[in-house]
Amino acid sequence: MNIEKKRKIESVIALTLSGFAATIGLFWLVYILSDVLIHGLGALHISLFFNDPAPAGAEGGGLRNAFVGQLMITFAATLMGVPVGILGGTFLAEYARGKKFARIISIISDIMVSVPSIVIGAFIYAMLVRPLHHFSGWAGAFALSIIMIPVVLRTTEDMLSLVPWTLREAAFALGAPYYKVIIQVVYRGAATGILTGVLLSIARVAGETAPLLFTSFNNNFFSTDMNRPIASLTVTIFQYAMGPYKSWHEQAWGAALVVTLFILVLTIAGRLILKWRYRR
Amino acid sequence: MTEIEVKSLDFYYNGDARALQNISLPIYKNKVTALIGPSGCGKTTLLRCFNRMHDLYPKHRYEGEIHFQEKNILANGVDLINLRSRIGMVFQKPTPFPMSVAENIAYGLRLKGIRNKSELIGRIEEALKHAALWTEVRDKMNESAYELSGGQQQRLVIARALAVEPEVLLFDEPTSALDPISTAKIEELVVSLKKDVTIIIVTHNMQQAARVSDMTGFLYMGELIEYGTTEKIFTNPDNKQTDDYITGRFG
Repeated sequence: MNIEKKRKIESVIALTLSGFAATIGLFWLVYILSDVLIHGLGALHISLFFNDPAPAGAEGGGLRNAFVGQLMITFAATLMGVPVGILGGTFLAEYARGKKFARIISIISDIMVSVPSIVIGAFIYAMLVRPLHHFSGWAGAFALSIIMIPVVLRTTEDMLSLVPWTLREAAFALGAPYYKVIIQVVYRGAATGILTGVLLSIARVAGETAPLLFTSFNNNFFSTDMNRPIASLTVTIFQYAMGPYKSWHEQAWGAALVVTLFILVLTIAGRLILKWRYRR
Repeated sequence: MTEIEVKSLDFYYNGDARALQNISLPIYKNKVTALIGPSGCGKTTLLRCFNRMHDLYPKHRYEGEIHFQEKNILANGVDLINLRSRIGMVFQKPTPFPMSVAENIAYGLRLKGIRNKSELIGRIEEALKHAALWTEVRDKMNESAYELSGGQQQRLVIARALAVEPEVLLFDEPTSALDPISTAKIEELVVSLKKDVTIIIVTHNMQQAARVSDMTGFLYMGELIEYGTTEKIFTNPDNKQTDDYITGRFG
């Protein structure tokens, strides 16, 4: 067999295998999304958003408690995690630029991004839940904020590093002190990138269940008290999907669809902003 | 009248790599002084000593003195923020900030503590007129500065530097990224500005030095080889190396 023919056959084999692998991956993705969509759409009634859960096993009711709890936990986590992440990234990219320990913190953050979230849940359980003897919304928000910090920190660091150094020199040359250079010039140059990082980090934590099981736990009643256990969509999905009642399964599908759409929208918005910003 | 007096200046990058050696020269008030020489000769390094831009990098070190209006600006305890508002700088590539045309100019004014809106508007217009940009951007004041052409951006940056009313303006190869028409406009501007500010311009374009400057210094390998009136340097230099460089035999 001549060498050209051999190469062509190899190429066809490689193409077939990688195409097959891609199809398998895509098949399950589409299957899961369409399954969530088909089952979830049926459960999407107004009552899902505005009613609290009915007694176990009874028909009707909604998941207002879980929607509100989820929003509160996510919002509190964002308020705690985003400033720390942005300031940390600023420190690494600006004040500690080029220093060895900045590189080390950067690498540790990369590792933190991929730490299993259940580990962080267990950590907060030991730090905040056990000593205080009760689950709480704050503990859940704290666990999520710890997951957000490295994501926001690394994006901020990368985006600030993309701002040309000459822009900072130009601001210095006008007699600006460093903190004003950062806040007024560098942040403006990197704003869309940082915003994208924040959106993606919210998307990252919005679907977390494991850390919440250990921290905010769950609450079958409507509650806005962050010092007490509070319901969340993800934990509710877990509980309802494992439960024995058909109405629970339906509502779990509905909640799953809402969470999926929420994350999808955030992720797509993040990507679009980046694409739009760096097109030029 | 002497505005700046450089006295036996040495400069070291990263503590030990000497980039400037025993530089001494006077910079005259309301004149354009050009610094010329081949790449790596130290002309930009020297320019960045005047506003102590090197201080942004911790290991760089000066020896010697630079007197600006009789005061040594290389001394410890000099207020760099004040110094840089009195000695402005324009860079090789245009450096507009990521904000609108008007905000770019307002930036330096706000740093100086000017907050009054009508005063800001007046000073912005004045600076843009000064930099011969007003007629081109008067309808684009709220548009992003990145929408302007390269030459307009460079004049915007000059206007930004002029707005804070510096006494000295440093130009670091301000036209090397521009087309010939924009270059001509910037050169014209440099000449017209010298009645208000003292100008030091680094250029690797010898025709440009000849066109815009009154005084010229030729640097080579970190040393000031010859310094004198532009006319003398370009027609009858004392030094053989200067003669070789300006006639294009090397560099």
